[in-house]
Amino acid sequence: MKKLLRRLVLLGAIAGGIYAVRAYLRGEASATESVQMVLDDGSTRSLASNTAEGREFADMARRIVEIGL
Amino acid sequence: MTETSGTGAVGDLDRVLADLRGLSEDIESCAVLSEDRQLLSSSHASAVDRERAGALLAALVDLSDRTAREGGKDHASQLRIDTEGGHLLVVRLDGGGALAATTGPDARVGLVLYDMRNTRGEVDRVLAEGVGQ
Repeated sequence: MKKLLRRLVLLGAIAGGIYAVRAYLRGEASATESVQMVLDDGSTRSLASNTAEGREFADMARRIVEIGL
Repeated sequence: MTETSGTGAVGDLDRVLADLRGLSEDIESCAVLSEDRQLLSSSHASAVDRERAGALLAALVDLSDRTAREGGKDHASQLRIDTEGGHLLVVRLDGGGALAATTGPDARVGLVLYDMRNTRGEVDRVLAEGVGQ
């Protein structure tokens, strides 16, 4: 019984570790930048920078903001 | 300092952009991109920096138009990108060019965009006069 409990605690620790690492990695990739477009018909579209499309905009914008226009 | 690549109507853009910067103190730099994606006026004195900034801005404006077309629209009329270092704001001109500005991270972006939209007409007018000359 004691052995089983020890294994359960160990499994729990491993699962917790995996969860923590995943949460950390997700946090790193979270959207700190955003893209907002107003289209010709007045509608708006938002893209988060953790999407491929949004990242492309954000990368270019970051460089432009850095060097100025 | 604002440098232009020519005189006449293109040179007049200096004044318009200077007025915009005077109106909107949050603007750190601004530029006008022509319909054919040439940087007509820029804050950069160095030709290399101008070329680099122009190429990046042209690529960004093309990307926004492509994204709009993929969504079934014709073009993007306004673009706001918030980055950690600041904001990039782009307003489309009537002829297909763009008026762009950068600000710091704490800028009052709504107000800057309002001033840019108000200045757009003046930029369009200067460019139209230049075409007619």
